[in-house]
Amino acid sequence: MKKPRSIKKPGIRIDMTPLVDVIMLLLTFFMLTATFKSVESEAVEVSLPKSFNTDSTKLPEKDVMTITLTPAGDIFVDVDNYLVRQEVFGDRFAIGLYHPDSTTKSEIEETGKIGNKDFKRKVVLLNKAQFEKTLTDLRLTLKNMTDNQSDFRIVLKGDKDTNFGIVEDLMASLKETRNTRFSLVTTFKFEKEGEDSEE
Amino acid sequence: MAGGGGAEAQATSADRHKKKRGKGLKIGVHIDMTPMVDVIMLLLTFFMLTTTLATPQVMQINLPKGDEKDKVKVDMGNVLFIRVSDQGNIYFSLGKSDGTEQAPEFVEFTDMKNRLEALYAANENLLLLLKFSRGMKYNLMVDILDEINRAAIEKRYTFLPMEETDREIVRLAGG
Repeated sequence: MKKPRSIKKPGIRIDMTPLVDVIMLLLTFFMLTATFKSVESEAVEVSLPKSFNTDSTKLPEKDVMTITLTPAGDIFVDVDNYLVRQEVFGDRFAIGLYHPDSTTKSEIEETGKIGNKDFKRKVVLLNKAQFEKTLTDLRLTLKNMTDNQSDFRIVLKGDKDTNFGIVEDLMASLKETRNTRFSLVTTFKFEKEGEDSEE
Repeated sequence: MAGGGGAEAQATSADRHKKKRGKGLKIGVHIDMTPMVDVIMLLLTFFMLTTTLATPQVMQINLPKGDEKDKVKVDMGNVLFIRVSDQGNIYFSLGKSDGTEQAPEFVEFTDMKNRLEALYAANENLLLLLKFSRGMKYNLMVDILDEINRAAIEKRYTFLPMEETDREIVRLAGG
């Protein structure tokens, strides 16, 4: 059925070219700046503390030993080179776990999960002596593989809610294995007076 | 809308064809950009969502090499004890040259930077001894180190374990 007065529909033509131009620019920008997280390196998720950027050091990209501390008191030790992991843990995707508090069990032993998430990588449980041996082994293996070329870095990713006791235990172990230089990973805090949050 | 536009474009080009037959004619080529825009939009959304712009930064920590023979004698008069309780309360106490120390004093976290700068102005050889309680949160440790880094002082600090005597001092000062 036709309407009595046929209204003429003006064919609206929108020129999409400027839109496409802008979108192309945005796309190029994001494609070039994107750095993908590898699935394995983000295995253990923690909420990092914030700090003011005083010396503006960025996280090194390779030859990094990452030590992750979870609120449950577990210490995960990992390197970014799978060959080193193969050498030290006997599995390409394994990750070391040390639970300093001997009176309790690690989270993965109790619930099979970490931070309420399933954990896909193989976990190698370590005691204190093994943990300290692993710290040394990881460093030496990486050094050998790269012919002493690598600037090996230790970074510490601690969850905000981790107890300092765990950090203290870890620092004792690091000191024991002569790993006296390490970095704490934080996220950027903006300079704003009166916004210092206190526990 | 896209389909209608396409049909219209065809119609007009057919009309033009009829009128201008025989002449050298220019056909206005209309490329329908909609599918391309759709795809690009999808890609854009994908990259926007997966990208991580804020790369985390690091704070450098240097522990002293733990050799027994490297033990350094410090003048207790240059020492400032910073003790932090389980509850996260910060206590400053200055050491005295005779080996004792002044009574601990509660310091607000927000006031810490100014206090450190004032103490450093009074004594340039100030050495900070950090005694953090095991029950305190890692977040506070980072915050305190950050304040020390931010303060206009020389960054000389070291971590010491909190012993029973320290716990007692903190407890007497209010926990």
